[in-house]
Amino acid sequence: MHLSYLASLGHYLPELIVCLTMVGLLILEATYDKHERGRGMLYSAAVIGLFVAFCISVGSLTDQAQPLFTNSVVIDPFSGFLKIIMILGTLGAVYLAAQSKDIYSEMKAEFVILATGVLMGGMLLASANNMLILYLGIETLSILSYALASFRKADERSSEAGLKYALYGGVSAGIMLFGMSHIFGVVGTIQFSEMGARLSELSGTQIAILAPSFFMFFAGLGYKLACAPFHMWTPDVYEGSPLPVTAFFAIVPKLAAIGALTRVTMVFFQDVNALHHSWIALLQVVAIITMTVGNVGAIGQRSIKRMLAYSSIGHAGMMLMGVVVINELGARAILFYGATYLFMTLVAFLITSFVQDKYGNDHFERFNGFIYRYPLMAIAMSVVMFSLAGIPPLSGFVAKFNILAAVIEKKYYVLAIIGGLNSVISLYYYLKIVRLMVFKDVESDENIEGLGFVNQAVILGLTVPVLLLGVFWSKLISLAGAAKILIQ
Amino acid sequence: MASLYSYLFLSFFMFVIGMAVMIARKNVIAMLLGIELILNAAALNFVAYTRFINQNLDGHIMSLFIIVIAAAEAAVGLAIVIRFFQVRESIHVDDATQLQA
Repeated sequence: MHLSYLASLGHYLPELIVCLTMVGLLILEATYDKHERGRGMLYSAAVIGLFVAFCISVGSLTDQAQPLFTNSVVIDPFSGFLKIIMILGTLGAVYLAAQSKDIYSEMKAEFVILATGVLMGGMLLASANNMLILYLGIETLSILSYALASFRKADERSSEAGLKYALYGGVSAGIMLFGMSHIFGVVGTIQFSEMGARLSELSGTQIAILAPSFFMFFAGLGYKLACAPFHMWTPDVYEGSPLPVTAFFAIVPKLAAIGALTRVTMVFFQDVNALHHSWIALLQVVAIITMTVGNVGAIGQRSIKRMLAYSSIGHAGMMLMGVVVINELGARAILFYGATYLFMTLVAFLITSFVQDKYGNDHFERFNGFIYRYPLMAIAMSVVMFSLAGIPPLSGFVAKFNILAAVIEKKYYVLAIIGGLNSVISLYYYLKIVRLMVFKDVESDENIEGLGFVNQAVILGLTVPVLLLGVFWSKLISLAGAAKILIQ
Repeated sequence: MASLYSYLFLSFFMFVIGMAVMIARKNVIAMLLGIELILNAAALNFVAYTRFINQNLDGHIMSLFIIVIAAAEAAVGLAIVIRFFQVRESIHVDDATQLQA
């Protein structure tokens, strides 16, 4: 069923509102940014815009797929759920940016504008239903991200991060497009729904051409997801960017990319043929390498930010295992993982940000004896670290359990075992922070200005879901289970 | 008249040159040019396939969008290069050494 363009707009409200918010903020920034009051207005406009988009996304979670704009975008429960997580992630990053000293105060408005733009790209990517929209989504994400990464203009490290991000991003987008062009040549269309059908009736030679093309196609998504052969930029970019930007990168682009990858896999590779097997093999190998590289790389780090960068690579590998299984169990596990990952990442980055603002760096030693000065914050940080490592009864455990259950159900035992081993490796570096916080002496008695009453309350409020989702997970699981990818 | 294969061969050649530039050259401006070569190889493929096999407009639309986005990407890329040059006084990738474990 095709809707006209005007009728399509009615189903596309969250994206439109995010887009309007971005434009409105640009105008506000140009007129009012010069004084403090103007900045307050800007923030409230941003928060109101994102909150309205959030409410409409929650309200419009349907159980049917709605193809829009002559089938180039599809609104289904899966993309709706991902969009809700991404909007929450953006709200969190905007809050962090407002509090952090890592972003110059005259640039704060620009952060909000660029972040809303990236969110727009992510939403486009999550519901992309043809090659063109997928490419547009990736590039909207990427081009704005380059600017975000080099946000601290006078800082060498930040410009270097932007430079590396732009170069890697350009190459991987180019490789992806080259792959896409051959896929288009063989299959003859860029619409996902038609491609899925045509892929099942291919000759041997056509498959021989398509397999390498699909590997190239994977480069673009793999780069945004930061998985194994394309992960080299991640630690550098995460370390060089200002902290709120890093927190934002760890959530929104990653979830958008995993959503697009899941959709592509579900639509193209339902039929078991040679192409299906080669794609599965590719994803399995990539998932294993990604997890191992991320978790092993995180071990020797001194900077918390860099450690979190490597750990996010590890988590990307974990989520990739949910893509490999190509069924609804996997998609559900990915959504649940995304939701819990959002809260855990936000709390970890919020606390790290305030500590870094105080001491000027984010090395592990800055957390020495943290529990004696800020017991509540230390407990929140420990909860999050245990949860990231996947220790029951926290939500990180349920998330990993779901993924592993989906993998085992498909009898990919090797993958499951390596996933389990990786959780064990990750325990080492996550618990290192907990050990420093509890068993080391306090370095200085000075107060950390960032950790005032309001910020502590926000951090605790974000920690509560990490605890609750570990125990009362069935509600969110059933919600995520209802959020199917619908193939028309 | 040139066949599809000559176009495919040319685009493959451009792609390989672009990758070689990305790997071998250390000058950031040259690397941005390499990215342009790769993107243009893909755009050429899209147009060639549309012309010779698939008689629909998908390929043309794709290549138009590729051209637009390549321009946007080059603009942001060059802005970052200028910023990098201002703080490091070099456009050599080997001078990007601040961020290493």
